Amino acid sequence: MAYAFLLPALALLAVFTFVPFGQAILLSFQEWDGVSPSTPFVGLANYARVLHDSIFWESMKIVVVFGLAGFFVGNGISLCMALAVHRIRRGKALFRTAFYLPGVFSVVVVGMMFSWLLAPKVGILNRLLDVVGLSALQHNWLNDPATALPAVAAVFIWFHWGFGFILFLAGLQDMPAELYEAASLDGARAWAKFRYITWPELAPVTTIVSLLTLLAALQIFGTVQVLTNGGPAYHTIVPTLRIYEEAFTNHRFGAAAAMSVIFGGALVLLAGLQLRLSRRKR
Amino acid sequence: MDRRRGAAVLYVPLVLAALAALFPIFWLLAGSLQTTQKLYKGSELIPRKPQWSNYVQAWVDGRLGVYLPNSLLYTVCAVVGILLVSSMAGYALARIEFRGRSGVMFVILAVLIIPAPASFIAQYKLMLSFGLTNSRLGYVLVLITAGIPMATLIMRGFFANLPKDLEEAAAIDGCTPFSAFARVILPLARPGLIAVAVIQGLNVWNEYLLALVLFDDDDLMPVQRGLMNFVSSETPLQNILLAATAISALPVIVFYVLAQRQVVQGMSSGALK
Repeated sequence: MAYAFLLPALALLAVFTFVPFGQAILLSFQEWDGVSPSTPFVGLANYARVLHDSIFWESMKIVVVFGLAGFFVGNGISLCMALAVHRIRRGKALFRTAFYLPGVFSVVVVGMMFSWLLAPKVGILNRLLDVVGLSALQHNWLNDPATALPAVAAVFIWFHWGFGFILFLAGLQDMPAELYEAASLDGARAWAKFRYITWPELAPVTTIVSLLTLLAALQIFGTVQVLTNGGPAYHTIVPTLRIYEEAFTNHRFGAAAAMSVIFGGALVLLAGLQLRLSRRKR
Repeated sequence: MDRRRGAAVLYVPLVLAALAALFPIFWLLAGSLQTTQKLYKGSELIPRKPQWSNYVQAWVDGRLGVYLPNSLLYTVCAVVGILLVSSMAGYALARIEFRGRSGVMFVILAVLIIPAPASFIAQYKLMLSFGLTNSRLGYVLVLITAGIPMATLIMRGFFANLPKDLEEAAAIDGCTPFSAFARVILPLARPGLIAVAVIQGLNVWNEYLLALVLFDDDDLMPVQRGLMNFVSSETPLQNILLAATAISALPVIVFYVLAQRQVVQGMSSGALK
């Protein structure tokens, strides 16, 4: 009986998720140009190629920057803003609406928006720097090897921090008020309350937010593709973009599959590891 | 007194953060209403003579009259599909005792962890072999599948909170299990259905990677994919590009403003449960 209810969901998952997942592993040992019906086995040749693909490994390093930026800077902003909104009386809903608004846009819209804001000559950022007499600080933000990665990472943070904020705020609102009342009676200061009540009570939310932010950052694709397409000279290349290029530009789907097995495997390991660590702590 | 002043100080960073969140959107809209010359000389904060004709040109040149209805169609079909399939699955997992329940739960949680970058290449190959690339049906099926795990978990949570004896009462009234589900249980889970619809609607509307991989027929593309086509096609004028971007973003802004409470609730229930 139960399986009659479950059948459509399980059938779709089997065909469109599990089969491709298995096929990705299979394809990583095959050669395929994306068109021809023949997919000969090539053993470990794809993995050997990927091993020597310095751009792929560079992309793995670069994506860690996105991960760290989202994890520390993004989540830091989320938490501080959630604590602040939780304490104020007026305008809670207004701030909540404003803070989450960036999160509802598509990667294409966000990419277009910031290509315009960060444009070299006409972009508002460079214009403002000029107006306040700091034209020495002007950059071709998205095209200068020195600034491209920080600029894209900043856009990612702008795009994503509202998500963590919403979750932190929900966590704060669920917290029992008695704890704080007791602490106030004991004369606890704001920092002590945060350190000994808020932070430990919030731990489950913090775990989820960290995990989801990290996974979103590591899987970043569209934002980068629209803003820089991995450039200048691969300074902002990320794994998903490299996988896409290897398949659809270089027509080496086998090698792309090998990359996705390596990268996907790393992501799954990381998610498992973080969940286990947080569980042990509790 | 001291406490009050402490809270007032909080408004400074909050207002700054709100400005940072809103300004880029405002600046996009401002730029989309300028003439090209103005744009290059220095865009005005609020355009004195708003060029609404930019929007007309963007609509025509950017083929938004094709892409937007496509996106609407995909979103409606995928959301209806997700609601149907996931509410059934969530119902079974929450309220029917059966062998293998924990196994099915594990499978659904495992799928949540499989990252898109690990499978989109193979997904393309699979769809190609089914003849489902450049296919409306193919895209909708993939979208539904992508939404199932999260939606099922949310629906399961809602069903689990309903009173225990509903099915028994329905059975006494002569309902079969399916009609009990459809007539009695499902209407009671409406808040859950709305939360799922709102979140999945946004996800589907904003989907980009699969649309990029699965479509090269211009007439079938959803708006995110179509917009990128427009950007990289010839070299459209910056103000027209901004107008096209604004048009594609406006439905989302309106939707968010109207349904923001559901968006926020759905988001946190999806992630925290």
